[in-house]
Amino acid sequence: MLMAASSIGVWKSWEVQRLNPREGGGAATILFGGAPVLSTSDGALQVQSMTKVFRDRGGAMVRAVDGVSFEVKRGEVLGLLGPNGAGKTTSIKCILGLMRPDSGQITLLGQDVQAAYPRILQKMSAVLEGSRNLYWRMSVWENVSFFAALHGVRSSEDQKYFGHLLKLFGLEEKRHTEVRKLSQGMKQKASVVCALARRTPLVFLDEPTLGLDVETSLELRSVLKQLAREEERTFVVSSHDMDVIQDVCGRVVIMSSGRVVVDDKVSHLMSLFRTRAYRIGLRGPASQALEERLAQAFAGVQVAYGDGDADSEVRVSLSEDGDIYRLMDILRSADAVIDEITHEEVDLEKVYLEIVREERARS
Amino acid sequence: MMIGSVLAAVFRRDWTMMKRYIVNSVSSLVSVYMIFILIFAGLQSVSGYVKTGALDGSLEGTIIGFFVWTFTIYAFSNLAWNLISEAQTGTLEQLYLAPCGFKWVGACTIISDFVFSFVPIMLLLIAMMATTGRWLRVDLVSLIPLLVITLLGAYGVGFALGGLALVFKRIQALFQIMQFVFVGLLVIPTRVPGVKYLPLALGNDLIYRTMVQGVRLWRLPIGDILTAVAVGAAYLAAGILVFAWCERVAKNRGLLGHY
Repeated sequence: MLMAASSIGVWKSWEVQRLNPREGGGAATILFGGAPVLSTSDGALQVQSMTKVFRDRGGAMVRAVDGVSFEVKRGEVLGLLGPNGAGKTTSIKCILGLMRPDSGQITLLGQDVQAAYPRILQKMSAVLEGSRNLYWRMSVWENVSFFAALHGVRSSEDQKYFGHLLKLFGLEEKRHTEVRKLSQGMKQKASVVCALARRTPLVFLDEPTLGLDVETSLELRSVLKQLAREEERTFVVSSHDMDVIQDVCGRVVIMSSGRVVVDDKVSHLMSLFRTRAYRIGLRGPASQALEERLAQAFAGVQVAYGDGDADSEVRVSLSEDGDIYRLMDILRSADAVIDEITHEEVDLEKVYLEIVREERARS
Repeated sequence: MMIGSVLAAVFRRDWTMMKRYIVNSVSSLVSVYMIFILIFAGLQSVSGYVKTGALDGSLEGTIIGFFVWTFTIYAFSNLAWNLISEAQTGTLEQLYLAPCGFKWVGACTIISDFVFSFVPIMLLLIAMMATTGRWLRVDLVSLIPLLVITLLGAYGVGFALGGLALVFKRIQALFQIMQFVFVGLLVIPTRVPGVKYLPLALGNDLIYRTMVQGVRLWRLPIGDILTAVAVGAAYLAAGILVFAWCERVAKNRGLLGHY
């Protein structure tokens, strides 16, 4: 069985191999240049072949999480990306023990999570539903103290740390304000503080910037980067906000239809796509015939027309090494005059959209 | 150590919430008192009481039955309503992330609820006694253990309903029905065969003997006390089992944080 990630198997630095556990092949294994990544000793979290199946109202089986495997190293900030229904939140909840996975193994700091549950929760905390994770009739400080105390974190030194976090998140002056009286951004930040105050080595942040304005999102990102750097804690950040993932995370796992389709460093992913995305400036308008030929040869090609006799532009992502020559051949046979060829600027959003679209087209 | 920390945290939370929702706390107590006044007025207008076990034709029986019923309603509804409310507001999953396990957070919440409802309900008892002019013996050394024993069954029902709420979400109708079921359990005479094996009944009878006849805890028949403890513990265990089963279903179906 080929893993869905084979859609990006054309990227030369990747080798992706998947053995379907239901066919007796064991865990899914993702190889980087032939080296297995799921057996490193510095792993904070290892998830292997995790599957969660639900029944919908009609009784049909829905594989919300389908043989998911990934690893998070200690001190790493991992981004978990995927469209709605990709299985991100379900995966996080299965790891946290809030849902029961049907199969798979989860290891946290060398301990089997299911065997050590619930004591293992001493090592992880989470923001799951943002501001809904708080008691709105209690103050910020009361919430922080309460949730930290559930983890046994309540010494005077811990309280100094709570103060430090509140200062870091700009909530110091609001510490005695009831949560219901705070703005949405402040509520969201308060819920992140509550998770961080538990002083766990692993922290899950599910949509931490949901509903935040740009400024507050930037603040939050800045603080998360600072904490990851200074405290060497491990973060798993699930978000639709690509800027957050690109800015905060070193590595990203992209999920689609319950499966991991990409697991790579953000910088590596960006550089791969940077080399694949081209913008070709053409002198004069592109013909209809040229557009049709390009569309047949390259999925997702875009041809932008200028007004009247104005110049046109072709935007295309190439997947094979030989594609550039095929592109040139098509342009030459259409008598198109090339003004310039540039690598298109890419950001994580474009990378993500392309991966998800390719994955959807495949499935 | 961890449980102590959780218990202290739960106490602080509940105390804070009680203060923040003081109007609600006071008004619910006043409502219960008003119901008692209506019952009392109704009883006065009827010539002679209906001969029932707990009431036993006496005003004292009515006061004690109402006192135990109020405690029961507070006990089971606080437990079950808290679960529903936490699921609704989104804090339930955070409580489930406690390393001691949710069962201990739940146990601490029960203890805290008992403590915080004890003083208001004792005030209600005093108000009822003042209203009726019948002053009962309030021997706390005997009364508190007997209340705890009696309420074990109510907590069992609370756990079971809380568990059902995790899975089925909207079960408010069952809550209403249970209130009347509890009234029935408190008024059926314990001399009826098998009744002492139902929740509340025997405990209520023991409380009656303590508060009306002045029998102290250690003077009560040991067989009755042990039976009350066993019955309470059995219903509590059954409730916890139902809760554990429902919790498992909720985790399998991913329903824990939904409402």
